[in-house]
Amino acid sequence: MFAETSFSPWLRNGAYVAIAVAIALFPLLTGNTFHIHLAQTLLYTTIAVIGLNLLLGLSGQMSLGQAGFYAIGAYGSALLTAKLGWPIAAAMLGGIALAGAAGCLVGLVALRTRGLYLAMATLAFGFMVEIATQRWVDLTGGTMGIYGIPALDFGSSTMGKAYFLWVVGAVYLAVQITSDYVMHSRVRRNLLALKENESAARTAGINVPVWRTAVFAVSSVLAGTAGAFFTHQNAYINSDAFTLNLTLTMLIATVIGGLGASYGPLIGTLITLMIAELIASLYDVSFLVNGIILLTVLLLFPQGAIGLVQSVGKFLFARSSEGSETQAAPTDRAFALPVAPPSTGPTLVVENLTKRYGGVVAVRDVSLAIEYGKIHALIGPNGAGKSTLINCVSGLYRADSGRILLNGKDVSSLPAHARAHMGLSRTFQNLQLVGSLTVLENVQLGIRSTRSMPADFFSWLLSSTFEVEERARALALLQQFGIAHLAAARPEDLPYGHRKLAELARAMAEEPTVMLLDEPVAGLNDREAQEIADVIRRIRASGTSILLVEHNMEFVMKLADRVTVLDYGERIAQGAPAEVQVDPRVIEAYLGGSLEQSNSAGKLEAAS
Amino acid sequence: MSAANFVQLLLSGLAMGAIYALTATGLFIAHLATTRLNFGQGDFLMFAAYLSMALLLAGVPVALVMAVVIVVLALMGWGLERFAIRPLDRMRALVGGQYSWILTTMGVALIVQNVVTLVWGKSSQYSPPLFSANRQNVVQVFGAGVFVEELLVIVVALVAILLFYALLFRTRQGRAIYAVAFSPETAALLGVNVRRTVVLVFVLASVLAALSGVLVGPIVTVHPFMGLVFTVKAFAVASLGGFANPLGILIGAILFGVVESFSNYINSAFGDLYPLLLVLALLVIKPSGLFGEAKTDVR
Amino acid sequence: MAIKHGSALALLAGFALSIGSASAENVKIGVVQGLSGPPAITDFGESYLQGIKLAVKDYEAKGGKHKIELVVYDDEANPQKAVSLVQRLMQNDNVPVIIGTVSSGNVLAFAPIMQKAGVPLVAGPSIATNITAQFIKESPSYIFRCSMVEKFQIESMLDWGTKTFKKIGLVHSTTGYAVFAAKEIQEGLKARNVQLVAVESAAPNVSDLTPQLLKMKEAGAELVLNFHESFELIYRPMAKLDYRPIIAGNWGLSSLKVLQIVGQKEIEGTVMGQALDMALDSSKAFVSRMEKEYGKAFRWPVIAALGYDAGQVVLKAADTAKTLDPKGMRDALEAVDGIQAISATPAKPFGPQDHECLDREHVFLGVWKDGQVVRLKY
Repeated sequence: MFAETSFSPWLRNGAYVAIAVAIALFPLLTGNTFHIHLAQTLLYTTIAVIGLNLLLGLSGQMSLGQAGFYAIGAYGSALLTAKLGWPIAAAMLGGIALAGAAGCLVGLVALRTRGLYLAMATLAFGFMVEIATQRWVDLTGGTMGIYGIPALDFGSSTMGKAYFLWVVGAVYLAVQITSDYVMHSRVRRNLLALKENESAARTAGINVPVWRTAVFAVSSVLAGTAGAFFTHQNAYINSDAFTLNLTLTMLIATVIGGLGASYGPLIGTLITLMIAELIASLYDVSFLVNGIILLTVLLLFPQGAIGLVQSVGKFLFARSSEGSETQAAPTDRAFALPVAPPSTGPTLVVENLTKRYGGVVAVRDVSLAIEYGKIHALIGPNGAGKSTLINCVSGLYRADSGRILLNGKDVSSLPAHARAHMGLSRTFQNLQLVGSLTVLENVQLGIRSTRSMPADFFSWLLSSTFEVEERARALALLQQFGIAHLAAARPEDLPYGHRKLAELARAMAEEPTVMLLDEPVAGLNDREAQEIADVIRRIRASGTSILLVEHNMEFVMKLADRVTVLDYGERIAQGAPAEVQVDPRVIEAYLGGSLEQSNSAGKLEAAS
Repeated sequence: MSAANFVQLLLSGLAMGAIYALTATGLFIAHLATTRLNFGQGDFLMFAAYLSMALLLAGVPVALVMAVVIVVLALMGWGLERFAIRPLDRMRALVGGQYSWILTTMGVALIVQNVVTLVWGKSSQYSPPLFSANRQNVVQVFGAGVFVEELLVIVVALVAILLFYALLFRTRQGRAIYAVAFSPETAALLGVNVRRTVVLVFVLASVLAALSGVLVGPIVTVHPFMGLVFTVKAFAVASLGGFANPLGILIGAILFGVVESFSNYINSAFGDLYPLLLVLALLVIKPSGLFGEAKTDVR
Repeated sequence: MAIKHGSALALLAGFALSIGSASAENVKIGVVQGLSGPPAITDFGESYLQGIKLAVKDYEAKGGKHKIELVVYDDEANPQKAVSLVQRLMQNDNVPVIIGTVSSGNVLAFAPIMQKAGVPLVAGPSIATNITAQFIKESPSYIFRCSMVEKFQIESMLDWGTKTFKKIGLVHSTTGYAVFAAKEIQEGLKARNVQLVAVESAAPNVSDLTPQLLKMKEAGAELVLNFHESFELIYRPMAKLDYRPIIAGNWGLSSLKVLQIVGQKEIEGTVMGQALDMALDSSKAFVSRMEKEYGKAFRWPVIAALGYDAGQVVLKAADTAKTLDPKGMRDALEAVDGIQAISATPAKPFGPQDHECLDREHVFLGVWKDGQVVRLKY
């Protein structure tokens, strides 16, 4: 059984209760309103930093415009209360919604651009918001600020600060719990997958544009939430608070705390606030101190402060993914490979597919059909158009003309992730495993959860059997492929052949009806190739149809039920391996045939 | 707008554009070979401007000033690579390790700023002209008055960038940089000393900052916090031109400088907004800059 | 809500009530200033602080009654930071009075908090018109100021400018401060039935004002009002545009740094709001003392003088306060008399309806003449 891989949520939830109690008692125990003020600042800033942590740490998208979202949340709420007289709660939600809307817009830009260009685009966005808050004086009051903003104190001058702390504390805790869920669930796996390789993520069924935009929206909502709290903390805002420095402070807190770690934002924000207080009177050397601290932390504690804390308190909070799975005993249930539903017609049909790059035709008018539970090999010399064809089928490329039918349905105009959801999975020539996930988690990436997001969340929060079933299925697959003992390892620590197997397991976890294999034995030795061949046969036996692109002729002839030969983008032969092997055109193509022969390939079609 | 005014604004824009081009080329070269860059490039420029100012005020001849500033900044570039960049290599695999360089180079920038304020104070400073007896040395170009120093900036920056391109495309060392950019492992197999090449690009980037600092001092007012603006604008220019293409950066820089100059004339209240809008719009239309090739990541 | 004291200070102050004024004691004075960031901030913040420190030094040299401790924090011109620091000064450091800060926006952010907490503020060198005005009706108001008042310098400047010139242009920065100044200028001109021939602005961090000055030249402005915080920038393009209007503007133009960067010849004739008459012996003595004390770091006579006066006023209040708690300090501040101010601040700066050191009649126009700012006669 998998008892040891499961984890009691009560320890972790105990930590939440402890935090809640601490926040509840803090203002009662300290009479010092300055300390309460700092605690408020700590908590709402942490909310914004959690957003950046998700964005940067999980999806790998760099935003230098977080101060912009923060400002939109702050001004939205300030203006709605001060100018339109909305109640505070409604105004805060309004401001947060505005920030979220801005986040969606920037997220759309993020779909077009990557890396440093994205950093620049968000930087420009941040500056634009700064310029607007500074110069749209009639609306924002510029540096002179907005008056008449109500403080969030429930009308109490004595307990108001405590009330504010409790409200912000409750929101922080909700955000922290949600963030922890993200860090420990399929959300994290999906985000890390799209961070490392978008194409692979798409073919694994992840709707990349939606995820990327969503994570931007979430991070902007969280920044906007912090801004809205900031507004009602002091009941006054002006444009000087929303400069690039704010963004950089959040970035520093994110990284110093430990990028991608669950309590990293809290600890990082605490550290930056403490440093700011400590050096407030050392104004002549404050930059020096800040600079030295940045360098020291990053160079000596590269995983951030959380790295230190975690090594001490790992057994308390971190749901350890190392260790536990390795001990997982063989299952008492014998998991078989998922069986594809039987089908009478062909599972995959490619009709007259053509793909051009500029003036060059990479694939011309190619047709093929794959039967249920058969292996169809696609071979041809280098540059024959095999990879282009497989990329068109999986949906990474859009064909110029022709149709692709999957289980009888036309999928030609569907994006890659939708095809994946309809039962198409694939592996890559130079394989694509997510380096920051374990082998087991990589396989889990392929498993389609049947639970809705809220159900998944509550299962994580309350149930001790969260994802136990998924992990068992993933492990069973690894077992089937003989690499269950490597479940907890990182892909980079595996030998190449095992990585290929792991990727096959990931693809199989999607329970495909059709699997596309792009050169599965390239770079493997004979023994490893033999292992792969065995696995492929077992996949076929489970009913999954396979389109196999391969250079290794011997491998293809042994394995394939049917073979299509491409040369210069055109089909020159199709048939059983034995027929194709002796086809003179094929021999010519492989040995360097003349142009006339490959042009006359069409005649062979009638025979096939 | 009269023709003379047009020339006036054009030359102002070109002078600033030339400085942006130098600074952005520094970002480009470091990014090319290491996918990292110096977030404190503008602060290095600022330090160079201060150093040059101090030496000029002390009566050191211009040629010597130039040499000293270049040597000092080259050493700073070496130090930056050695102490703020290279140690990060061992943490590359860590989650998020690929962004640590932003913060370490920022840390160095903060230290540089603080050293400058401790030595020279926090006020703006007067930096004497390089080649003129006073700051009023004006020549007429097509009816527009231009400072000799401004013309000089344009000429020197262009020459420096052309020399730089020659180095990049015509020398063995330059090809080594491209080889490392393509793949450090392959470059090493081809006998390129990867470590030395990485050090070289950061030294080169700093030397470019040195050059821009010396040139920019006399045409603006120097102060310890001027660096960030230059970093940001150079960053914008490099994105505009595409981080992959040095010619794109030159064109992007000139475009940025000229747009800035004219938008300040046409609508000064939002003069700094238009160049940003230009960059943002361009990033949406051409996601990898004017000339950067978008890499498809199908493998 | 009254400040919780917990400290022995309040207790001792309580005892002191009976003897009329507080006996010798450690007195903490909180200072929040903009001490890092662009020169437009730090030049003001550091100069004002230099003045305060010299006042404390003089006080101690004269054998002052109390032992003075300055608690100085840098607000980085960031309102969020400033609010936090003010709370820290009130709550942790238990200071009975706070002086600060450069950025008017920051003062506007924390002044209501101090008013509510009942801790007196001596604002400076912030300049926005409405800082004390919005609290003066409260009884009592805890908000005082020792600094230039925007409206006063603008009014003086417009009186003179509209009488002397036909065509007036305005160049201001896009910071909220300067935008408000521009608004006040336009309102003032409207009242005088004069139109600006050109209005141009520029971001605070620009390095070149050629396009803006070109516009002024095309409009034929004879007088250019300069409300850009990088005071020296406007002079740079003059030579190449061959256009030399009279420049008048913010009191920042009296900085020795501006003189140094622009040059004595180029700055000659520039007019600005002033509150320190360099013709007076006391001013000259003060400047030479500051030079001796701070060397090259001394750069701004009028700001330092106001800082010095703010220090004097607060120290005098500490000497005369019945109790050394915030309330006592406030009452003492309002009643302070007999100040020998360096700036144009009168001997009795404040009263129940006046919380400004400088009133309209104390502000005059200064002009650069032979490397000195002297009173402009018009």
